[in-house]
Amino acid sequence: MAARRVAVTGLGVVSPLGNDEADFFDSLQAGRSGVRRLDVPFSERLSTRIGAPVAFDATAYFSPPKLRMLDRVSQFALVAARQAVEGAGPGAFDDHLQRAGVFLGTGMGGGQTVDDGYRALYAEGATRLPPFSVLMAMNHAAAAWIGIEYGLGGPNLTYSTACSSSAVAIGEAWRRIRDGETDLMLAGGCEAPLNLGTLKAWEALKTLATEDADDPSASCKPFARDRSGMVLGEGAAVLVLEEWERAQRRGARIRGELIGYGLCTDSTHMTHPTVEGQARAMALALESAAIDARAIGYINAHGTGTVANDMTETRAIRQVFAAHADQIPVSSTKSMHGHLLGAAGAVELVATLLALERGILPPTINLRSPDPACDLDYISEGARKTSGVDVAMSNAFAFGGTNAVLVCRSGAAAGASQRPD
Amino acid sequence: MSFPTTDHQTFVVLRDLIAKDHAVAPETLTPETPLKSLEIDSLSLIELIFTLEERFDVVADKVPDDLATLGSVADYIDGLIAARPVAIDDGAPAT
Repeated sequence: MAARRVAVTGLGVVSPLGNDEADFFDSLQAGRSGVRRLDVPFSERLSTRIGAPVAFDATAYFSPPKLRMLDRVSQFALVAARQAVEGAGPGAFDDHLQRAGVFLGTGMGGGQTVDDGYRALYAEGATRLPPFSVLMAMNHAAAAWIGIEYGLGGPNLTYSTACSSSAVAIGEAWRRIRDGETDLMLAGGCEAPLNLGTLKAWEALKTLATEDADDPSASCKPFARDRSGMVLGEGAAVLVLEEWERAQRRGARIRGELIGYGLCTDSTHMTHPTVEGQARAMALALESAAIDARAIGYINAHGTGTVANDMTETRAIRQVFAAHADQIPVSSTKSMHGHLLGAAGAVELVATLLALERGILPPTINLRSPDPACDLDYISEGARKTSGVDVAMSNAFAFGGTNAVLVCRSGAAAGASQRPD
Repeated sequence: MSFPTTDHQTFVVLRDLIAKDHAVAPETLTPETPLKSLEIDSLSLIELIFTLEERFDVVADKVPDDLATLGSVADYIDGLIAARPVAIDDGAPAT
């Protein structure tokens, strides 16, 4: 069977920059930050008090009995999935649901439930835990709930490769459709790490950004000389991936085409990234897309704001793109939405697809004084209007060394309005 | 105040709990109301019993599989209350 094309026909996002695609991208375009001092009861116990929280009233989406079965991470995922499914329009989820599945990524799953459970047991001396603790904490709860919600009988898998989890989930879902195993996938990721236990664990790794003395919202500074680390964020993004012909037949609004996926592993160090690994993942993604490196017109960088990543990623981009690297606008939207860990790849792919669709490249904010070792075009002056950017790359690299890169094409460039050749 | 041990009192607590949870008027709920009509399945019943255990300071070893109405749930809890080894002053959860 010839390789099949994969359309993106639905987008859903719950993020520190807003809880639908319009709010999310408007914030990105405006260079608004979702980073802030966390307003949590335990803030005095944190040495790093900044984060990128989601403003979210779960009771607006779920009945009380349902809500009691959902960890915060699954709430995010279900709301993002609902948006994506609604956006996919009529006919998407009506039939052939045995060939439809869910692939999600999450780094830490239902961490709030785990945190609550430990507090009850160890701090409060509880003799028992709430009955849904297992169902809320398990890593694949979110994906399972989504599968149940829409009756999807195909594969339902949860990938956990830290910060590349959802890029892996989307890439693997793309492969399933491309290779003819499924026709329709809800793919994305979710993360809700802003609980005391998870925040303290991250603090201990010494990779979190120091709060900016003048403006807490400006604490994440990817590629800047004064960058001091990453800022944890929470949220979810889910995409509807659909076999191209099926999407065309039902007259779907095609938001873009997923055309390439590169996956490799450093296998050298638990936390330290390598130029070679990141470059290899980008090269593999270009190869699977069967495009020349010069076709890439925008890169949504992993750009965590850590010393190690940003320098490594810059050098990896130079290695892959050679002279063309200077022609590619690159931005780290993490400067605004923070690092969503297992949801990062999905949220950033949504940002990338919307950038192509709107012809506006989101900026890297807080980049006033570039690190000389980071010498690409990071769109530091603010969002950039563009014409003729049709193909873009989204990078996700992870603790553990799993590098995942996705390549997408705008709906317009993919010929969304006419039959493909 | 004595601990509420009659069918009626247990049912009222249960009724009000369910009414709030499902956003329905308490008057619409009777002991004959089927759990199924409230979309309370085997899983949500476990949670409901858990809440009632906390509320009445009782312990259910297993949730019986023949509870089908609100009244049968209230009766089941009343059975547990009657079997409690030590009575306490009120219905508040033990601290």
